[in-house]
Amino acid sequence: MKVRFFATYRDITHVAELEMPAPESVRGLLLALCERFGPALQKEILSPDLSALGQNAIVLVDGRHITHLNGIDTPLSEANTVAIFPLMAGG
Amino acid sequence: MNAWMGTILRVDLAAKTVKKEPLSMQDAHDYVGARGLGTKYFCDEVDPKVDPLSPDNKLIFMTGPLTGTAAGCAGRYEVVAKAPLTGTIGAANSGGHFGPELKFAGYDGIIFENASETPVYLYINDDAVELRDATGLWGKTVYETTDALQESLGNFKISCIGPTGERLCLYAAVMNEKHRAAGRGGLGAVMGSKKLKAIAVRGTGSVTVARPEKFMEAVVDARAKLKAHPVTGTGLGALGTEVLVNIVNESGALPLRNWRDGSVFDQADTASGETLAKTYLVKKKGCYGCPIACGRVTNVPDGPFKSFGEGPEYEAGWSYGADCGVTDLAAIVRANHLCNEYGMDPITLGSTIACAMELADMGVLPESDVGFKLRFGDAQAIVDLTEAVGKNEGFGKELAKGSYRLAEKYGHPELSMSVKKQEMPAYDGRAVQGMALEYATSNRGGCHVRGYLTSPEILGIPLKTDPLVTEGKAALLKLFQDLTSFVDATGTCLFTTFGIGLPEIAAEYREAVGTDETDEEILLKGERIWNLEKRFNIAAGVEKDTLPPRLLREKLPSGPAKGKVAELYTMLEEYYALRGWDKEGVPTPDKLTQLGI
Repeated sequence: MKVRFFATYRDITHVAELEMPAPESVRGLLLALCERFGPALQKEILSPDLSALGQNAIVLVDGRHITHLNGIDTPLSEANTVAIFPLMAGG
Repeated sequence: MNAWMGTILRVDLAAKTVKKEPLSMQDAHDYVGARGLGTKYFCDEVDPKVDPLSPDNKLIFMTGPLTGTAAGCAGRYEVVAKAPLTGTIGAANSGGHFGPELKFAGYDGIIFENASETPVYLYINDDAVELRDATGLWGKTVYETTDALQESLGNFKISCIGPTGERLCLYAAVMNEKHRAAGRGGLGAVMGSKKLKAIAVRGTGSVTVARPEKFMEAVVDARAKLKAHPVTGTGLGALGTEVLVNIVNESGALPLRNWRDGSVFDQADTASGETLAKTYLVKKKGCYGCPIACGRVTNVPDGPFKSFGEGPEYEAGWSYGADCGVTDLAAIVRANHLCNEYGMDPITLGSTIACAMELADMGVLPESDVGFKLRFGDAQAIVDLTEAVGKNEGFGKELAKGSYRLAEKYGHPELSMSVKKQEMPAYDGRAVQGMALEYATSNRGGCHVRGYLTSPEILGIPLKTDPLVTEGKAALLKLFQDLTSFVDATGTCLFTTFGIGLPEIAAEYREAVGTDETDEEILLKGERIWNLEKRFNIAAGVEKDTLPPRLLREKLPSGPAKGKVAELYTMLEEYYALRGWDKEGVPTPDKLTQLGI
């Protein structure tokens, strides 16, 4: 599956996109990414007890916000693209 | 006098007279300021059927009660007139420092009447106000005009038009401090029709507030929240509004090639805020009293698109970028700088070029009319055609009328991606259903800042709502439209609402003007403004609320909204009912009476 990072998260990951085997769910993906990129990313994308999405993170699975899917338990497959953003606005 | 300065300048451009008259405090109470108060004065004084480019149209500059105070981001002023592009009420606001300076000189606003026979500018130096000859400025660009006036006058704040405003380009902007724009609807053409080249203002006074200690408590609270919020405190300043490119694209809502080819652009990142920050960003820049600093000072140091200036904002980056199929960020930056220099709305111009590209692609716009083979993705073309409009050369003369009139001339008005003849910006209503309703019902035609439902639908601020569903969108939009009307009327930047909301801004307003009105009573002022604008449009004979056929009939071919069209009519009836309007979208007498209109 593909994982894309945007905005200030790229300053942490130093990559804009990577490919990796699909974990079972978004939860598994976020934990795997925290393992790989360390505490700087962890404090952004996961709650302090690691049980929920970080309150200032946006995760899209194939363009759909996980809030409108099954939240952090949204299942993943190899065909998915996950996009991860910090809270942002403009206009 | 608290928050309001209590004085309006009335300038008769034909008689060359300037009068100072007391501000109507009843109107200030009911309509707050800026967009609201300017519209109230306008509607009381101008026939809705007026030709926008005739001397009988008036042009109003109006500040808000918070403009020039310590409130966060309170640097806005509004320009109000009947808009030549749309025939609707035209109201466009701008930041920078011009609005606060007008208040420091002692004035809430300026009403321009009639037209001068020769070019003039209005000189305001505190109590000294006079019309001066501007013959030597006529024909100059925005940058040249600003530099010339500042060279001769000193540290004055300048609002002016470029040559496109003089030539009545239907989307000419009113520009201040070179790079800030009251951009939409063609209010710069109204200014040009009056032969009014500029306003130069210097003020040495200050704005007092009714309850200073409580006001500062409210300001400190609001500013602390703005600073602490991840968007207004860090994100928007770091990457500017162009940061939206990728999230809107990933959400399948970035319209591609005149909205023809869906809304997923595989090269979107080439023109994103992230890329801009790595390439042409020199520094960020804020307006008066702004802790956010979303402005971008940008420099393309060399190459064919060498350029220095400000921007682009997200919508301009999209209109010249994805909408034209262009991926060359240097060209996009250059085209945006040219819009500032000549004084034009880049959303409308970029979209008009995109429309021309589709007409050319279909074979209905001959190569001989354009002067070269026009095709999507041509970076040189967006720069050359922008310059052609700025200089009134060749095909630029046709582009100066906007996409609707262009597409109509070539027999395909349906290819103008506009509402009420104003081009819709950068969010596809098929993928963001609330924005479809927003575009259709906006009182100034296709526009994103009259009720920005992208915020809850894509960004999750202040709540998360599914962009693909229609349920609940009518009520949410009404709330956003009324709140936006109030925020605009205060003279506060709408971007504050990403970090704070009605409680904080209403608190600043209450303590500034000295009122004990509740949040609900204050929100009602926003609803009053919205209904007044709508009543004007109805009387002006503006067309009904709808969308281009492409959004209503052509399904998105890919992305998360694949197969979707804009389900406007499942939301519109509910919206009218919530507004207390009849089924045709006309405010009922009972509703107008209830609002005191």
